Amino acid sequence: MRPLSIAGLAALALLFALPYWIIPLIADAGFWQHVFVTIFVYAAMATAWNIVGGFAGQLSLGHTIFYGIGAYAAVLLNQHFGIIPWFGMLAGAAVSAAAGVLVSWPCLRLRGPFYTLSTIAFLEVVRLLAIHFKDFTGGSAGIPVPMFATTATGMEQRIGWAWMLFRERENTVLIAFGLLVLCIAVATLIRRSRFGYALLAVREREDAAEAVGVNTTRVKLAAVAVSAALTSLVGSFHGIYLNFIEPETMFSLATAIQLAMFALIGGLGTVAGPVAGTLLVVPIAEAARGWLGATANGLHGLVYGLVLVGIVLTMPQGIVGALKPRFALWAGPAHRPPPAAPARDEARARPPIGEPILEARNLTRRFGGLVATNDVSLTLREGEVLGIIGPNGAGKTTLFNLLSGFLPPNEGSVRVRDASGQWVTPDAPHGFADAGVGRTFQIVQPFAGLSVRENIMLGAFHHARSRAEAEAEAERVAALCGLGHLLDLEARSLTVGGAKRLEVARALAMRPRILLLDEVMAGLNPSDVALAVELVRTIRDSGVSIIAIEHVMAAIMAISDRIVVINSGRMIAEGSPEAIAKDRTVIEAYLGEEYVAASA
Amino acid sequence: MRRRHVLAGTLAGTVALAARSATAQGSDLRFGALYPFSGPLALLGDESFRGFELAVEERNAAGGIGNARIRIIRGDAVDQNQAIGEARRLMSVERVQAIFGTYASPLSFAATQVTELAGTPYFELGAISDPITERGFRYLFRTCPVAKFFGEGTVDAVTGIAQKLGQDPKSLRIAVLREDGIYGTTVSAAQKARIQQLGYQMVEDLSYSVRAVDLSSVVQRLRGANVDVVLHTGYQNDILLFYRGMKEAGWKPKAVIGSGAGYSLTDTMKAVGSDFQNTLNVDFTQFAVNERVAPGVKQFVEAYARKYGHPPRSGHSLANFMGARVFFDALARAGSMDKDRVRAAVLATDVPEYTTPTGWGAKFDEKGQNTRARPFLLQWQGEQQVTVFPPEAAVAELRIGLGAT
Amino acid sequence: MEVLPQLIVNGLLLGGAFALISIGLTLVFGIVRVVNFAHGELFMAGLFGAWLLSSKVGLTPYLAAVPLVVILFAAGAAMQRFIIQPLMDADPHIQIFATVGVGTALINLALILFGADIRTSELPWAREPVRFAGLSVARGFLVAFAVSMVATAALVLFLKRTHLGRAIRAVAQNRNAAPLMGIDVPRIYIITFGIGSACVGLAAAVLSPLFPAFPTVGTYFALTAFVIVVLGGMGSLEGAVAGALIIGLVDSLAGYYVAPDLKEVVYFLIFLLILVLKPAGLFGVRGSE
Repeated sequence: MRPLSIAGLAALALLFALPYWIIPLIADAGFWQHVFVTIFVYAAMATAWNIVGGFAGQLSLGHTIFYGIGAYAAVLLNQHFGIIPWFGMLAGAAVSAAAGVLVSWPCLRLRGPFYTLSTIAFLEVVRLLAIHFKDFTGGSAGIPVPMFATTATGMEQRIGWAWMLFRERENTVLIAFGLLVLCIAVATLIRRSRFGYALLAVREREDAAEAVGVNTTRVKLAAVAVSAALTSLVGSFHGIYLNFIEPETMFSLATAIQLAMFALIGGLGTVAGPVAGTLLVVPIAEAARGWLGATANGLHGLVYGLVLVGIVLTMPQGIVGALKPRFALWAGPAHRPPPAAPARDEARARPPIGEPILEARNLTRRFGGLVATNDVSLTLREGEVLGIIGPNGAGKTTLFNLLSGFLPPNEGSVRVRDASGQWVTPDAPHGFADAGVGRTFQIVQPFAGLSVRENIMLGAFHHARSRAEAEAEAERVAALCGLGHLLDLEARSLTVGGAKRLEVARALAMRPRILLLDEVMAGLNPSDVALAVELVRTIRDSGVSIIAIEHVMAAIMAISDRIVVINSGRMIAEGSPEAIAKDRTVIEAYLGEEYVAASA
Repeated sequence: MRRRHVLAGTLAGTVALAARSATAQGSDLRFGALYPFSGPLALLGDESFRGFELAVEERNAAGGIGNARIRIIRGDAVDQNQAIGEARRLMSVERVQAIFGTYASPLSFAATQVTELAGTPYFELGAISDPITERGFRYLFRTCPVAKFFGEGTVDAVTGIAQKLGQDPKSLRIAVLREDGIYGTTVSAAQKARIQQLGYQMVEDLSYSVRAVDLSSVVQRLRGANVDVVLHTGYQNDILLFYRGMKEAGWKPKAVIGSGAGYSLTDTMKAVGSDFQNTLNVDFTQFAVNERVAPGVKQFVEAYARKYGHPPRSGHSLANFMGARVFFDALARAGSMDKDRVRAAVLATDVPEYTTPTGWGAKFDEKGQNTRARPFLLQWQGEQQVTVFPPEAAVAELRIGLGAT
Repeated sequence: MEVLPQLIVNGLLLGGAFALISIGLTLVFGIVRVVNFAHGELFMAGLFGAWLLSSKVGLTPYLAAVPLVVILFAAGAAMQRFIIQPLMDADPHIQIFATVGVGTALINLALILFGADIRTSELPWAREPVRFAGLSVARGFLVAFAVSMVATAALVLFLKRTHLGRAIRAVAQNRNAAPLMGIDVPRIYIITFGIGSACVGLAAAVLSPLFPAFPTVGTYFALTAFVIVVLGGMGSLEGAVAGALIIGLVDSLAGYYVAPDLKEVVYFLIFLLILVLKPAGLFGVRGSE
């Protein structure tokens, strides 16, 4: 185990020991235990929230929907059927997960503030409906948690572990802490798993995530489901703890905002962040109320608001961000010694060009009145490098998006021969990725907040079973692409050439059988171009079939076996590099008719 | 009438005595005062607290409880979680021997469970939700009337109106209008039960969110249903919106009957203006009440004005004042703060009606609920809210017709 | 008397009031791209300001618009300069929480200064009904409606015809390219935030005879304003007005025909529907989301 994981666990243990063992030694711990229960409850929910808000980057301000569902499930089942809250808790979690998926499905394609506002709207609708359907929920009159119940055998006292109600208050500390540990454990597992990396990829750049084979809708929904279920578990406990539930409190927007705030103040997307944020803010709020509550109405609220602004202004990265050097290990990936100098792949014999592996037939794509791709058909053979050239605006990138599933064609189809030899026609980018198609993007935007290693791992997770396997793959590919010494650098600090190579490395880590390269050489200096040409050749020699869009003529001529020329969305020529270089229509397209006429 | 003199005589020396009590900390009784001092409920939470504070000062001036002075430790709770936290803080950090509160029912529900499990007596002076005392708790006692009585009071007022109009009450078309929070829901449920019990006709049952910014469509519904009497449970802001809507539509029912809160506030009357005249209201005892049935109410108003510089903002202070007094007497009889002796002493309380400043008596049932407290029927006449029912408490005749003529 | 025409008129006039509150929000939302959760609290501050000016200084609430517009412009500009600007490069979520902090502080400041009481700016004239064609409406609402239309038209003209307005629109369309054209983007943001807040000041003054001031009043309007802005399309003034009229109508009609406690449900559902089907809003430009 890494030293900082141990430090984290020790901090957690101390957090538990304080209210459970240490403070009771010094004083009557009743109040302090409540403060810690509050901290645990909020920290647990902030941690659960962070799976959606931090890892997946979907700022939900409606998370109390699940908190309320959990509380209502536990209390209603208790009241009406005498079912102990532990079962109610599970039922609530199941309902919450389902509700989370249902609510998020239509909203996930919304970006930024729009998603946030939609979650608020859902929360309001749920709250108002809970108020309106009072026969079911008890409405605004609320439901007290039964402490005594009349049964056939007389008065039953519903106190004790089964009912989650205690005279011994330290037991509530125990449960609240248990829930916190559960949430942290789930968050940690997710953060370190393939699923977690997929979420980060979605947060950083959704299209690139799709390109490495992530089904973005599915991972987002999965994140919402997990997060909702955890939040609901905590809500069940807290509902019982509060002893009285009504819609205004259980479906409170203010609480939902607070949860997000704790995570944000602590540091979005890290495991330790939400806990740290809660630990900072809850005591401030409690202390402000304790010290200032008696002096003037509202003074503590004012102080709280101002402190909030202050924290946000001084630590916009969050506490964990501000203390990154110390927390990076706990929150981030493992540190390893840099790998040994890459063993240059010895030039292998180039495999022969084989059967077709990708076929596009009569592809047409229109945007309004503009026909960006007009009846294009092409075939890529196994082991071949196919170059696509054309003037700016010719529709090359649109063609690429059609070939990789990012755009559906209006007419025509694309089919790919998958690893088992079957021809398939996927209908989404991750489907193409599954069929063995990897791609890069013209505008390189690596997952800026992640390291080079993590960026490449995102691609490797497409096939890797374990984190270790993905890391090994990342190191291998990085070496191949000349990034071996940069593995631990944050991707945002790469040079243009480095970023382009990273783009290729990420696609390559997927172990694609077909690689679509979109202008990987544009903007590079001549020595970088030479490196890139060498890289493409190496990839080709390892058995990958390649389609490359390129502006750098010399380079495309050097690497391509065959070239397709596109102009105004149409294919105007196809042939060997030598033939294309002499083709009249091509010269015309690039340089204009006058030039052709003059030189003729 | 002996107590009246004690009260009148001793409140004058309050300030000096308060200072003295602070020094005699050793033998102090420490009582928690748990109210919403901030947040949306702050106004009446604070008003409630003032009644409690005045009762404590009066008691300390008279020598405290069994020669021990009372010290108030304030606890501010805006929501349930804070109510639990404050109840715990008051018990464990501040080591209070009893807690008084709470004004708001959700806070009461949450806080009382904590004190019950810890065996600390909780004295509820102002939260009206019925189920608070229906949970089988042993150390929770409440002096104020519950929502059920508000429901009965408002519907019975319809009977009085019908008499004045010379009509059969069953012929009057009644609408129940409420904000959809806990307060409106609780009271309106009691109203509907009473309407059904008496066989009156309810033609509309409308609720709206407290965050509504316009109630003109509600007014149109009422008007469409040809409503005679509106039983409205709402807060200041929505009362204003409701009256504005009626004015805008140029329509009004024969009577509007409120249920406390916003309807009891002088500010509401001022903000609405002359249209508010003759609005009826069922609430805790207010200040224009027949002194024969509420001895000490004048002195209370004087003491209040002396301490806070203006007359009471609503009857909440008076209700809390009365309740605290009843419990102080019981604690004095108990002779100790042992929870079971406190319970025995509270249950042994027997104060006849019309002998306290609220006119309420005090006799507790096994659940800890005072059975001798009823809200009165009040009416805004001129600048004042006068008591019009029951007849022995009334200081004015019930008037018919809404708005100044 | 027919109820439907009355409901429609009530709804449109309420929509006029909503429009006044929303145009400032849509400017800030569309141009600075900040979700200002303190918008409702600025409105609350404006209402208290109008009350202070009318009850203590004796200014007619409508005339209080002049000082309030100035004061809120300054407050908004200061908020942008000192709170939002330093966070422009941070995670956009962070800005949201900075505004939440400002809102919390403002609510509690009002509680300290004025207590939880409601305060009404005295102008009984505004609450007197006007009757025509069998309809009956409060004068104050007619004034608010007229002011909202004039204010929107003036703002639209300002954005289209003046140099500063064009610069603001340039920033809205492309905040990266605008500096290349010599536009000082941070300054534009400060001015825009100021104008957005000044609109709130105007709204507060005009609406103060109709809506009482109390510390939490802002939260009653804020969510509605967000619904309206998204409905109309982020940054579109005409859209905000259309959205406000729609929501006003929904408020009035759903309050009558559905149930008063479900009218918010109806307009949140409409809001969600628009978000899902046409996320750019009714008048928004595709891609701006």
